[in-house]
Amino acid sequence: MIPLPDIHPPLINASGILSYPEVFAAFESAGACLGGYVTKSVGPREKPGNDNPVVVYPPDGAVLNSLALPTQSAEDWERDLEEVKLRKAKLIVSVYGGDASEFAGVTRRMSRFSDAIEVNLGCPNKEPGEQTIMESIGQNPALSAEVIERVRDETDKPVIAKLSPNSDYLAVADSCMNAGADALGCGNTLGPGLAVDIRSRAAILAGTTGGISGPALKPVNLRMTYEAYARFRCPIVAYGGIETWEDAVEYILAGASVLGIGTAFMRKSTIEAAALTRDIWEGIQNYLAGEPMSALIGAAHRTADGVGSHA
Amino acid sequence: MRSVFKVVENRRESEWTHTVFFDQEIESQPGQFMMVWLPRLGEKPFTLSYPNAVTVKKAGAFTEELTALKPGDEIGLRGPLGQGYPPLKRPALIGGGVGIAELRLLALASEAPCFVLGGRTADEILFYEEFRELGPVHVATEDGALGHKGLVTELLPVEAESYAVCGPERMMAACLPKLPAERTYFAVERYMKCAVGLCGQCTCSGWRVCTDGPIFPATTVAQMDDFGTRRRSKSGKWEAV
Repeated sequence: MIPLPDIHPPLINASGILSYPEVFAAFESAGACLGGYVTKSVGPREKPGNDNPVVVYPPDGAVLNSLALPTQSAEDWERDLEEVKLRKAKLIVSVYGGDASEFAGVTRRMSRFSDAIEVNLGCPNKEPGEQTIMESIGQNPALSAEVIERVRDETDKPVIAKLSPNSDYLAVADSCMNAGADALGCGNTLGPGLAVDIRSRAAILAGTTGGISGPALKPVNLRMTYEAYARFRCPIVAYGGIETWEDAVEYILAGASVLGIGTAFMRKSTIEAAALTRDIWEGIQNYLAGEPMSALIGAAHRTADGVGSHA
Repeated sequence: MRSVFKVVENRRESEWTHTVFFDQEIESQPGQFMMVWLPRLGEKPFTLSYPNAVTVKKAGAFTEELTALKPGDEIGLRGPLGQGYPPLKRPALIGGGVGIAELRLLALASEAPCFVLGGRTADEILFYEEFRELGPVHVATEDGALGHKGLVTELLPVEAESYAVCGPERMMAACLPKLPAERTYFAVERYMKCAVGLCGQCTCSGWRVCTDGPIFPATTVAQMDDFGTRRRSKSGKWEAV
């Protein structure tokens, strides 16, 4: 297994959030405590994604989005990644395709720019007439394994298999680990879900349904993190409703070694978002009180006598 | 969040431009924007021209529908979003085309404003009579029908304590070197998707226009290599401004 790069602080953005290298550079310049940045998922060919509205945020903690993987072509992504370099932070390139060979083709182009490749197996969004990646690949252990195997052949960088919470994710993870994944991403947005406007009697999102993120996602992906760590004891990049240092510590105790922030950046300027990352990292450090983080990863699995596992 | 209001009036301002009034006033800072939602059609950013209205130029399917709304029709609004203008003293408000509409609420909130307005024809100089009651109005039209024949930039510099510029990006880029950066603000526009700082779509050299802007000090705009040159389209692919 190839170890993950040293992502320090162990905080990153979630894929599809911030998205572009020039935004990462602006966050880095503003002093954000993100040790790595993940690109928007790079696809094989240009695709506009859904029309607006692409986001709904009812006042109950759930956020829905239905961007549906807009992307410029992989060639245009190459030009962008040539142009903007991060000073210190690591770059993770998220990749997707319609089948294993498209995933492989994108990985071939992106590998040289990346410190790790994140394989998007779980996007629950689609443009009208499409099938979601979650349905076509991410819920199927054999097809997911085929994708990971082909991606593995195209890169010498660590490969993160990012799973859907709406799948038999331990079975999918098992296939992915056997196929050469180095780490698990736990996980994508949930659902998809639906929001309806009662006055116009219409689905609000132009894509009708959208992946669920924010606080509503946290207990789900926390459980996925916990179960995946219990089974595989592998590095886990965790995402889902991390808004405070306490949220981050919960994920660390469940088994995460890198934490992804997404919806918590909502309505925050670059300066405010950078301050949030500093607060989260300071809170984690205070909690650690000098102990290395590695001592706490998965600590929630210890039984009363300090050995073994509940899982 | 997102609320649905009733349209109460549709006022034709010019051949291409309408002001659509709705049944509730929204408290916002001048320069902040609203995401206007037409169910089943789409959602796009506009700045309020009145506390209860947006002024819209027909430029595509969405704005055709928006400018055709009738009293009793419904309009969805999300906002106000983003950073507006700081309070401005004795400002010169420099507007081009439908960008002039954004200056109306700023003008009403400002002490002793003057106006520098440009358009292709006299018809495009929105709120001309109303602005003349608030302060001196300098006009440039490309066909010479009103004021100076030529571009709005040819009227600069004008003497003022602060400057706010809202118009087509190439016009704003031409204004940038003619105005004192530390006292000038620009209204930057980009294709928006989420409009709440998440998706990064509206990046201008790494600043997310929806949450870091849309109003930026000229000192920041001067650092934006993308300003006046390129922007990301719906897919993220670059296109020329």
